[in-house]
This record gives sequence, C-alpha cells and structure tokens, in this order.
Amino acid sequence: MISIWGALAGGVIGTVVLTSGLRIGQAEGWTRMDLPLLLGTIFTDDRGRASVIGYAVHFANGLVFSLGYYAIFEAVGHAGWVFGAILGVVHAAFGGGVLVTSLLPAVHPRMGTPWSDAEETPLLEPPGFLLVNYGRRTAIWTVVVHVAYGAIVGGFAAHLG
Amino acid sequence: MLPTSLAVDGSGFRRTRGSRIRADAVLLDPPRRRGVRDRRRRAESPVVQRTADGYAPIRDYALVGDGRTATLVATDGSVDWLCLPDIDSPSVFARILDSGRGGSFQLEPAVPYESSRRYLPGTNVLETTFETAAGSVRLTDAMTLTDDDHLSPLRELCRKIEGLDGAVPLRWRFEPRFDYGRGRTRITRRGAHWVAEHRGEALALGVWDAGQPTHDGDDALAGEFRLEQGGSAMLSLASAHQQPLVLPGRDDAERRLERAIRFWHAWSERCQYDGSWREAVVRSALVLKLLVFAPSGAIVAAPTASLPEEIGGGRNWDYRFTWLRDASWALDALIRLGFDDEAHAFFWWLMHASRLTQPRLQILYRVDGNDRAKEVDLPELLGYRGSAPVRIGNGAARQVQLDVYGSVLESIWLYAEHVGHLDGETGREVAKIADYVCEHWRDRDSGIWEVRSQPAHFTQSKALCWVALDRARALAERGLIPDRSERWRAEADEIRAFVEAECWSDEKRSYVRAPDLHEIDASLLTLAILSYDYPVSERLQATIEAVRRELQQGPFVYRYRGEDGVQGDDGAFLTCSFWLVDALARLGKLDEARSLMDQLVATANDVGLYSEEIDPESREFLGNFPQGLTHLALINAAISIAAASSERETAR
Repeated sequence: MISIWGALAGGVIGTVVLTSGLRIGQAEGWTRMDLPLLLGTIFTDDRGRASVIGYAVHFANGLVFSLGYYAIFEAVGHAGWVFGAILGVVHAAFGGGVLVTSLLPAVHPRMGTPWSDAEETPLLEPPGFLLVNYGRRTAIWTVVVHVAYGAIVGGFAAHLG
Repeated sequence: MLPTSLAVDGSGFRRTRGSRIRADAVLLDPPRRRGVRDRRRRAESPVVQRTADGYAPIRDYALVGDGRTATLVATDGSVDWLCLPDIDSPSVFARILDSGRGGSFQLEPAVPYESSRRYLPGTNVLETTFETAAGSVRLTDAMTLTDDDHLSPLRELCRKIEGLDGAVPLRWRFEPRFDYGRGRTRITRRGAHWVAEHRGEALALGVWDAGQPTHDGDDALAGEFRLEQGGSAMLSLASAHQQPLVLPGRDDAERRLERAIRFWHAWSERCQYDGSWREAVVRSALVLKLLVFAPSGAIVAAPTASLPEEIGGGRNWDYRFTWLRDASWALDALIRLGFDDEAHAFFWWLMHASRLTQPRLQILYRVDGNDRAKEVDLPELLGYRGSAPVRIGNGAARQVQLDVYGSVLESIWLYAEHVGHLDGETGREVAKIADYVCEHWRDRDSGIWEVRSQPAHFTQSKALCWVALDRARALAERGLIPDRSERWRAEADEIRAFVEAECWSDEKRSYVRAPDLHEIDASLLTLAILSYDYPVSERLQATIEAVRRELQQGPFVYRYRGEDGVQGDDGAFLTCSFWLVDALARLGKLDEARSLMDQLVATANDVGLYSEEIDPESREFLGNFPQGLTHLALINAAISIAAASSERETAR
C-alpha cells in the first residue's frame, strides 16, 4: 500500500536531509549551492530575510515534489527506498539540469543570465552548465542529496501505508 | 592578407604622425572643406604602425564591448582580438597574438589613408575616420546590447561605415579562427548571411551595401565596395553558442547600435566626479564598466591574454580573471564615482565567489565564479611579436598571497560604511576571515607581485594583514561583525612590531621588500593609501622618497628591481605611477602630485586607454590591455588629489 501521508512525511524529512546535506557541502567547501538563498533572493536582496523566505519556499517545494513522487509511485504501482532513490537521480537531473540551470536564471530578478549585458547589474551569478559555477563538485553533491531525498520519500511512502 | 602599400621604417614600424595630432587636424580642418590636392598629399604619408610581420603597437588599440565580452580594434580598422561568447572564452580573432593564424576582421580603405579616432563622447562606441586622396569615410564600431523588445543575437558586433566626402574604395576581410586558431572553420551561405561554424560556436556575418562577399580561401570571406559622400554600409557579426543563430536584419542592427550609444551616454552621465582630469576619469570608468562581466558582476583585470611585459619575452599572462586584490580599489572607485549598482553587484560576487574557500581566499576566480584557472601554453600561437609562450589560465591562482586579506577586508569596510549594514551571515564569514589572518600572517607568501621565486615574508603582505585586522576591528566596533577585537588587536600589534623591527632598513632609509630582500618595492606606496600609518609617519614618508629615488624614471615607476623567479625584464608599472600620485596627495605634496598626474594622463593612448606597463624610453605600451588596475589607480589618484585640495581649502 502506497501512502500519500507517508510520502508527505518523507517529503518533510527528506527536505531536512537534503538541505542539511547541501549545507554540509557548503561548509566543507564542496559547493556554493545555497538553495534557500537562491529562492529567497527572488523576493528580497537582504541576505538574512532571503534565507528565511528561501527556507520556507524550499520546504514547500519539498512537499510538492513528494506529491509528484507519490503520483509516480501510484502510476507504477510500486514504492520503496531503491525506487525512490532512482527517482532522486531523475529529480537531481531535472532540478540541476533544467530547473536551476535554465529556468531559475530566466525568472530570477536578481540572477544573471548569459544574456545579461552592461545594462544590468545582477547580484547572483548564474549556476552555469551542470551547476559548475557553484563549484566543480556541485553536480555530484546535488545528485547525492537528491538520492537521499528520493530514498526517504520512497521508503516512507511504502512503509507508512 | 591584405596587400600593403605602406612604407616601413627601420624600427619595423610604419611611421605615422600621432593619432592625437591627426584628430586635432580633423577637428580644426574638417575633411569636406579641404581640397583634393591637400587630401592627396596627406594620403601619401604613411599611415598605421604595423610591424613588417603584421603586429600593431598595443597603444594603437581601442576597446569596445557589451559587458560580456570585448574586442580590440586597431587604428587601421582591424578587429584583432575577440573571445566568444564570454570575455574568458576561446578567441575567434587573435591576430594580436599571431598575425598569421590568429584570425581577424579587417576593414579599411583600399587606397592609402590616414586614420584618426575617438570614442563618441561618454560612450564605449568607437569612431574611426579614414581620410584618403579620394575622400573620407567614418567607421563606427560597437558591440550591441540585448534588446528586450526584439529577438537579439547572443553577442553582436556592428561596423557601420558612412561616406563623408568624395568616393572611397574600401575592402574588408573576415577571417574567423575559432578556439585560439586551433579550430577548423567552415563558412557557408545561409540566405542573406554567411555563417562560420566550429562545433557549438557559430558566427553570422551580415553584409549590407558593403560589396559582394567572396570566398578568400576555404575559411575566409572578403569584399570590396565604394562608398560615396552621404552613403552608408553595414557589416554585422552575430554569434551563437550551443544555440540557433539569430540572424539580424540591417534595421535591427542599426537600431541596436543607436541604443548602445544612448545607453553608454546615459551610464557615463551618472559619474559624480567633477574634479580635474574629469575626461580621463570618465574614460577610466567606462573602461572599468567594459571589464565588468555583467552576468556575475565580476571584474576582470584585463580583457586580453599574454600580451607581453617584455617584447619577445616570456612574461605573458592571462588576465581574464578577477583578482580579489583589485576588490578594494574597484569598490572604492565605484562608490566614490557614484556607481552604486555596480559596487553592490561586485560586492555580492565577491562574497559569493569566495564561499568555496572561505575563510581562506583564493587570489583569483573565473568570472563565472568557477575556481579553475589551470595555466597552459598554446604553442599553436606565435605570441605578440614573437613573445612566446602564449598562456591561457593563470598559475598564480594557487599561490598564497596574504595581501589579499587586507584588500578584501578594506573593500568590505568601504562597502559597509557606504550602505550602513552587513547581513549576519556575511558578518560571521568576515570575522572568520579575520581569525584566519591571525593564524596565517606569519606564513611566507608570493606577495602582491605574484613572484614565482621562493615565497618570502613580504613587507607589503604583512602590512596588509595589519590592514585586514584593523578593518575587522572597525567593523566589530560598529556591531557589523562578531566582536573578537581583543585577539585582532593583539595580533595587529604583533604584525606592526614585526614590520618595524624586521622590514625597515637604516641603510636604505626605507621599508624594504622583505626582511631578507633589502630592495625598494613600489607596492609599499599602498601603505600610505590604505592608511597603514595615519597620518603618514616619517618612515613611510622616507619610503615614498626611496621609491622615487630608486624606482622612478621620468613620470614612471618600476615595481622593483630584484629577482622574481621569471626570466627577462619588464617595463614600468603604470599602476605604481598612479599610486605615487595618490601617496603624494595624501602627504599633502599637491603640486608634485598634480604635475605627475598631468604627465601620466598625457601618456594615455589617443582614446584614453592604458596598458599594464610602459617602456619609459620609447613610451611603448607593454602587458595586457587595457589594464583595469591602472585605470582604477588613475580614478583613485584623481579623487585623492581632489579630496586633499578640498581639505586644504577648508583648512584655509
């Protein structure tokens, strides 16, 4: 039995793990990827307020994505740690390869794009192909934390039913 | 290659009258009023200074750009350096590094001519006027900006030619060489455009009223045309990177060209400086803006790689990176000139880019924030006038240079003082950087000059560590960062004791380069500028005099005379010359500062640009061009003189 509440609970805990993982990556110098800051600066250029807003948005995203995972589990008729982890790889590829790399710079009012010119003074550098501008190991670390997120959502959805 | 009909003198350069003189002549005696005989006489005189093997003096270049990349245009209308899509991408035109295989986009009269040029006032749009016996034409070069209302190319260079007088035969040659001349170029026709491709890169050449393009070999196009008074022609170069090309029409290109002129004019109008040498200060600000990589806010040291510090020598470095050292000078200049948006963006870039290594700071970063800067040689390119090797990347990235901490803390202090606050996270990081300085100021380093000899205890590095801790204390006193002032004060006192005991020479009557290097070092001028001693102490005054005594030649100042682990000599360092002006102004020696400033401002090329170094004898520019640090030092020197003058007036 696949549980939507399990998926949501997994979404909360998975987002905590994912966010903590990225923070550890920052502290260890592996990446400058700071999702709450990237999301929060859509709304304000005050770093402190941006981080608070960003965390809220980030947790909301974590829950929304867990519902997406749940939809896939239902469609396939299977959920579990391993399947969740595989979806986590897809999630990382989509998030890192499309959402953050291409779509976020296009809509973010304070982020540069390859088209930013002398008329603009963006405050945040664009992430670049495979997020490499935020550190060479960013892509790898992004996959690792998303695999953890996916595994937790998959496991909770399968076992809390 | 284009056929040459120009005399070559014994020095290898074609002789010419200075561009400034020609420009004056045009101003006083507009071409269309002159007789044919006058024009014919002028056109018979030799024109542009290129060596027999095709290299123009560095002084002969002007820079146009769009905030993402920039291109060097020579006095003879040849585009000899352009990297696409970004300023640190591989080159498409690199004739300046190899006149044979580097690639270029040439456009000039097909008959003997004289040229003069200027930037359109307050802009980064270049205007070159060619005068021939048959008449005169005006070439306008600009890189356009993204047009939000219309689909724009990723990058675009517009070259508009207008007939002023008579009927002038012209010719152009488009010879792209992708990937520093290593890539294979294929040129095909696509409707009204010609497209050059190499892997994911593409260039579309639009030609309007500029002759019928014909293949000149497999990988070049050429054309000839005649332009009469009142006529105009346009060549546009649009680029794409891993995406479909946007093929502009002539009207689109012309509209974007006009828009670029309006933008630059409006931007330079924001400059709040109103003192002496305003034209030079505004030009320097415009150069600085071209060195800002808009997508991230980073500022490159220069838009070029491997222009030599010694002709024929090996001191050839890639400057298309952002040095954190330049941060304090850049922020100081931007804030003092009133360019708050650029200062804000650069500060964000600074704090974000350095996050990977904080509290340790890498000395330079790529403009996109990436920390890779691996230095490699390009044996395929001969180098400017045979100055090999051509290097890309910069091995100095992995050096320890402790002065960087002083520069960064000074820039944070300047920024915080200007905006009045720092967010908590930044404040915590800044305090950690100050703690790192406490732990590491006793280390040897490679110093501000990035010597490749053995690391040493460079005096300037130690003094800048003192500056770092002093600014950290000042920030803590204002409650902007966590307060660990006691520790910072104690360590700062130790640094000062070390400098005073170990880095002063009674024999030289000066601070010296390092305790075991009893040489004068022009970087010690920064101690006066960054208020290591305020008011300036007797020792620091003596050091400034020692720099003048031992390192100054005419208005120019060498960095040092000793070893640095690299073979060969280099020229006088223009930044140091402006630092001397700044230091003299802070000492209150205003007449001397003004006199020196006048001489240095007169040393710029015909369009107000400076390279990194200069040969004091021949006045030949050396090193990468134009050099941001030189222009920053010019701005800050002018402002320091203005401030000191104002203080003196107030005191009266």
